[in-house]
Amino acid sequence: MSGERYTASGIPIRPVYGPADVPAPQRDAADSRPGQAPFLRGAYPEMYRSRPWRIFQLSGYGNPEDENERIRFLLEHGETGFIMEHDRMTADHLYDVDHPEVVARREDVGLTGAVLLHVRDYHIALDRIDQAAYYAHSGGGVVQHAPYANAAYWTIARRRGLDLRNLSGTGQSDYFLTYLGCFPKEQIPARAGLRLNRDLIEFCAAEVPRWVPVSIAAYNGADTGLNAWQELGALLANAIEYLDLVRQRGRLEMAAVAHAVGGVSFRVSMDLFEDIAKLRAARKMWHDLIRERYGVDDPQALRLRIHVVTAGTAMTYPQPLNNVVRGTLMAFAAVLGGVQSLGVSGYDEAISIPSEHAHQMSLRIQQILQNETNLTAVADPLGGSYFVEALTAEIERRAWEFVGEIEAQGGFIATLDSGWLHQRAIANQLEDSRKIEGGERKIVGVNCFEADVGALEVEGFRPVDNVYERSLERLEAVRRTRDARRARDAIRRLERACRDPEENVMPAMLEVLDAEVTLGEVGAVFRDVFGTWKVPVNV
Amino acid sequence: MKGELAVPARRVLLAKTSLDGHWRGPLAVAHALRNAGFEVIFAGMASVEEIVRAAADEDVDLVGLNVGGRVEVAERILDALRAAGIDAPVIAGGTLAPHACRKLAERGVATFPPGSSLQAIVETARALTRGESA
Repeated sequence: MSGERYTASGIPIRPVYGPADVPAPQRDAADSRPGQAPFLRGAYPEMYRSRPWRIFQLSGYGNPEDENERIRFLLEHGETGFIMEHDRMTADHLYDVDHPEVVARREDVGLTGAVLLHVRDYHIALDRIDQAAYYAHSGGGVVQHAPYANAAYWTIARRRGLDLRNLSGTGQSDYFLTYLGCFPKEQIPARAGLRLNRDLIEFCAAEVPRWVPVSIAAYNGADTGLNAWQELGALLANAIEYLDLVRQRGRLEMAAVAHAVGGVSFRVSMDLFEDIAKLRAARKMWHDLIRERYGVDDPQALRLRIHVVTAGTAMTYPQPLNNVVRGTLMAFAAVLGGVQSLGVSGYDEAISIPSEHAHQMSLRIQQILQNETNLTAVADPLGGSYFVEALTAEIERRAWEFVGEIEAQGGFIATLDSGWLHQRAIANQLEDSRKIEGGERKIVGVNCFEADVGALEVEGFRPVDNVYERSLERLEAVRRTRDARRARDAIRRLERACRDPEENVMPAMLEVLDAEVTLGEVGAVFRDVFGTWKVPVNV
Repeated sequence: MKGELAVPARRVLLAKTSLDGHWRGPLAVAHALRNAGFEVIFAGMASVEEIVRAAADEDVDLVGLNVGGRVEVAERILDALRAAGIDAPVIAGGTLAPHACRKLAERGVATFPPGSSLQAIVETARALTRGESA
């Protein structure tokens, strides 16, 4: 097709680029070396020669035993960190499995993550997994769930005699999923969540210094419809919300906090160069933000570390094997963008969570890239490309503009509360639907080349059948056999901590875990103290 | 919609069967149906009982289920609707594996897994509600 061409976010692109297309400041930035300010060209000097990217796949379903088995399967097959996905119905909502909303759809329990309702469940899920050896995502991707999930992971580590100071990982505790793309039935207000994240940041600074206390996951913003520069701008606006708060309290070293929260995640989708440019721009913008707004010079704090998840929405339902190609391309782009950590969505993503085979393929894609292609030999191989540098500069310009728009709205949290950010995503969603329906945006197997001689049918993941019943049995056993008085005291102490905005909830939350208080009991306290967020979107 | 102006808008109840709150799909479907002249009532994450009650109270011509969990929940909704004497046709979308589509098809439910065209959903909704008295 001749005529005008645009990136997925609508940036006009020319048929060919030359030196005159690269703005002077971008040329200067491109003259830097990887591992040096402004980190445009990479986080580390030798990149993958010295630090292979972490193979980090979302995983989890069913009973804690099922989650444990899948994590160990992935580690045995070459995964180099691990992720604990929790059941959306219980974890995102802070419901025990006998909550009426869960009972009403009991067949769904454990479908999208493991049901982990108390510390005994975590013991099972982490059985024979060496917490000292791996960077882990403990679960707690959702803000209101994060204090519990982090505390649970740390409690198991403590009981195993591990020093929390040596643990590495993240609970994530991110806004983009449940305040933008996937609203639970009820969750605490976004501002109350900010207080919990503050507590995590301050607690980790003192007690778990290698942990990323909150890891901004703009991926979920992108898969909800934010385009590349909106995703990037929103991520930075979110970081500003955290860092301004920490600065205002004046209790912590800004450099240490900037380093701690400088582990983030983005989405890479099918517009490969745009997303490569986005990752390069992200590092430079992080450097500029931390240096200019917060006056920090420590290179550790100025270096952004990036995890990428390849776009789930890019994976099609028809002709699912095509998704292996899409996963490979997106992973390739992520590596060219200089990621530190990578998860490739499953080829059966449009149907279910990954089957064992889809998971294995996600690993193999990464292993082929790491071992067969020589892709790991040279840092920032696209650095200096007229096109990539020009696009990087343009994305940076638009992303800063978007940060400015969000700040004009009162900041990131204000745009969640008002629905302003959602409206940006919705506009893009509807435009995207229109383009796909009209064939303007082509998706192979969906709106063109639909014939499939293979007619290979993928059934996706086969869910476990007895999760509701087994979770209920374990839950009732805990309620029956725990030290009831200790549990009651721990709940009271948590409630007091929640009600006093100057107190940190994490010590009380650790006691809650150790006293075998259940997730739903914590949810009841949170709902009582903090109330419920009002969803700003009408379908 | 020319020529159909005298006919009151057909009413569609959209509901999510699971506690998975992804709203992008339902929003796209609701938008397409409204543009096509349907009146859309969105019940959100509703239980079986809530869906049956809403379908009866709103006197809908069509029920659209967004299935984010297992197909068994959708089947339970179908049973409950019929048991309550509600015979409005049902369509379903969402992350439906091929076996789930077959199960629902056996019960007369048109299914729209990911990647289905919005136009196809609108046409099906029109065909299923055509000729019914409002």
